[in-house]
Amino acid sequence: MSDRYVVRNPETAWRVYDGQAVILLAGDSTLNTLNAVGTYIWREADGTTPVSAIVARVCEEFEVEPAQAERDSADFIDKLCQRGLLMVTESPQERR
Amino acid sequence: MGRDDAVGTVKPTSPAAARGAQTELSLAIAGVRAAIVMRDATLADIVRQRYKGFLSGGKPRWRIALDVDTVVPPAVPGDVVVRRDGHPARLAVERGDFSAILDLDRRCGRVALNAPNEFSIDSFLRIACTLALLDVPGLVVHAASLIRGDKAYLFCGRSGAGKTTLTRLSPDATLLSDELSIVTMSNGHARCHGTPFWGELARAGEDRCAPLHAVFFLHHGGRHTVEAVRPGDALKQLLSTVLFFAREPELTARVLGIASNLVESVPCFDLHFRPDAGFWELVDHV
Repeated sequence: MSDRYVVRNPETAWRVYDGQAVILLAGDSTLNTLNAVGTYIWREADGTTPVSAIVARVCEEFEVEPAQAERDSADFIDKLCQRGLLMVTESPQERR
Repeated sequence: MGRDDAVGTVKPTSPAAARGAQTELSLAIAGVRAAIVMRDATLADIVRQRYKGFLSGGKPRWRIALDVDTVVPPAVPGDVVVRRDGHPARLAVERGDFSAILDLDRRCGRVALNAPNEFSIDSFLRIACTLALLDVPGLVVHAASLIRGDKAYLFCGRSGAGKTTLTRLSPDATLLSDELSIVTMSNGHARCHGTPFWGELARAGEDRCAPLHAVFFLHHGGRHTVEAVRPGDALKQLLSTVLFFAREPELTARVLGIASNLVESVPCFDLHFRPDAGFWELVDHV
């Protein structure tokens, strides 16, 4: 995952309350809620920040061991990709 | 203009219309006024009778042509499909018993019903309201709503949550709806509006509105309890009761924005209640 980039599906609408993201996917109107770490990754998923950098920031913010953070982040990103909320790219997205 | 003036007859303007006079009825739901234009006399009678509490004068913002077309291809019965029809603001709305096009920019539309059926008309209007209200901005919510002491209360819940029961237990309150309520936002203030959309009560709400004092999420319980809900949890619960069928990202984002503004502006509570009027003692004091 370290050389990849994650970007939020533009068909999502979201808000953050008390550090937890509430995400609505337009395509099927599903509602997802993320915990604090998930919300941090979600916010960072701008398509221009490498996953490795996001994981490093998660380690700092939440005092997690790098190996565990990398493993948990990869699982989390996979899960959100399966749900159609995130997309993984091999190269950075152009900033809008 | 009085209510009787809202019912008028306009001259036919096309060869098709020349078969008979058109009837134009003006409906106003939550302040959104729409002219419903019909050539079918049976259809006009149904609309006039079904929405008599919401007939209105004044200039309509919307114009909807409602007609019967027996060759409308049947979709999956009961399944509502709302999809973009070319232009982003032009939406096709389809169900087993009707097919419609709504243009949100031009505020116009046309509907073809399989048959002059009250249920089909009502279903179309419910969906149309969810789209027309976005500009207000407002939402249609699966909720009972009542006015008591100049304050409106919204009781959200899906089927079986107790919405109709709660309204039956409130004879001294003004009924806004026992099934589908409308909330609009203006400058951070929420207002709740009466609607003609009913559930088991089979009675339309009053065409009135009042400031929304509190939102309650209904749960059955052995006793009456009220517990404050934080905005994030309230948003999740509210969204699960918002009526909305369009799948366009821009429209979905607007729904989320309106719902967010609502839960940030109005206190929200979980209400566990049993079927007696004692819940008002708690509701009145939140």
